[in-house]
Amino acid sequence: MFKKFDEKESISGVQQLKSSVQKGIRNKLIEQFPLLETYLDTILPKKDTFRLVKCHDHVEIIVHSSGELLFFRHREGPWMPTLRLLHKYPFFLPWEQVDKGAIRFVLSGANIMCPGLTSPGAIMTPVEKGTIVAVMAEGKQHALAVGTTALSTDDIAKVNKGIGIENVHYLNDGLWQMKAVK
Amino acid sequence: MSEAKTLPSGPQPDVKYPIQVIYCGNCSLPIEYCEYHPEYEKCKQWLERNLPNEFEKFVKLSADVSEEDATEEKKRQKRGGKGIVKARKKEDGPKQVCLSRAPRGKKKSVTVVTGLSTFNIDLKVASKFFGTRFACGSSVTGDDEIVIQGDVKDDLFDIIPEKWPEIDEDSIEDLGDLKR
Repeated sequence: MFKKFDEKESISGVQQLKSSVQKGIRNKLIEQFPLLETYLDTILPKKDTFRLVKCHDHVEIIVHSSGELLFFRHREGPWMPTLRLLHKYPFFLPWEQVDKGAIRFVLSGANIMCPGLTSPGAIMTPVEKGTIVAVMAEGKQHALAVGTTALSTDDIAKVNKGIGIENVHYLNDGLWQMKAVK
Repeated sequence: MSEAKTLPSGPQPDVKYPIQVIYCGNCSLPIEYCEYHPEYEKCKQWLERNLPNEFEKFVKLSADVSEEDATEEKKRQKRGGKGIVKARKKEDGPKQVCLSRAPRGKKKSVTVVTGLSTFNIDLKVASKFFGTRFACGSSVTGDDEIVIQGDVKDDLFDIIPEKWPEIDEDSIEDLGDLKR
C-alpha cells in the first residue's frame, strides 16, 4: 500500500480532530487491540490532542501532537499501527514469524506466501482471516512488516500455496520513510 | 506447522515498554535488518563509528551465523526471483548553503538563503527561527529557499553554524548581491 507513498506528494492535508471524534477513535483502538488498553495512555495521552493526516488513496494517519506517526488506516478499514510504534509495543498484535529466506522479499514489499509461514523456520499464532498481524522474522527481534491475513492460519497450513498475509506496511517503505508531521 | 514452538503474545512481564529500538543511521532500519539493505557496507561503517559496542556484538554474531549458514543452505530450499531491494537514489549533491542579498525597493534589501534542505533541515522551522532571531519577516519561498527581510547576511555566517552544528562555516557560500 505504501510502496509508492511519498511524503511530499501523497499528503493532502492535516486536520485537528474534534475531541468527540478523538474519543471515538480511542475507543475503537481499545476495542481493536484490547491488549493495548493499559498502554494507550502512554501512546496517546488523554490530554493530548492528536491530528489526522489525510493522504491520497483514502489513507489516513493519526499523528501525535509532537508529530510522531502512530496509526493508519485505509478508507473505513481497521486502524493499524505504524512499524515504529509496533517496535515500541510489539505485543498488541499477534505475531506471525516467517523464515529467513522470506525476509528480503518482504522487505521489498512482497506479500507473504504460505510456504514462508509453514516452513521449519516459521511459527504461526493461530488467527482468523482478515486479522491484522505483525510479521516477525526467524532470528530477528523486531517486526519487519504489518499485514492482514488473507487466509486463516489453519487454511494457510492446509493450502500451503499462494498469499497468506497481505503486506500492508513494511520496513523502508514510503510510510517508514515519512518524517514526523509538524 | 510446528506446534511445539509458539510465539509470545501479550505484554511480557519482564520487559519494560516502550522498547527502545536502535535504528541504523544509514538505512534507518533496526540494526538487525541492515544486512538486507543494499548499502550494507555503509551501514557497518556507521555502526562501527557510532555504536562500537553493538558493532562488536554484531561481528561475533555474524561469525557464528556464517558457519551455520553453510550447513543450513543445503537444508533449505532456495527461492528465486528478484528479492533485492533497490537502493533509493540519494542525492549526494554538494552540501552547501548559499547566501545572497537581493534588493527590495530603493534602499532596502532581503537576504536569500538556499541549500539548507541539503542538510535535512526543516525549512519551516528554520525560517521561523530566523524570523524570531532577527525580529523580521522570514518566509519559505521555494523548494529550497528562505527569504529573510533585511540584510542579515553577516549575522547568518555566525548563527547558522551555531544553530546547526553539522553545517561548517566553510560550507556557507556568499553569492554577493543578486540583481533584480
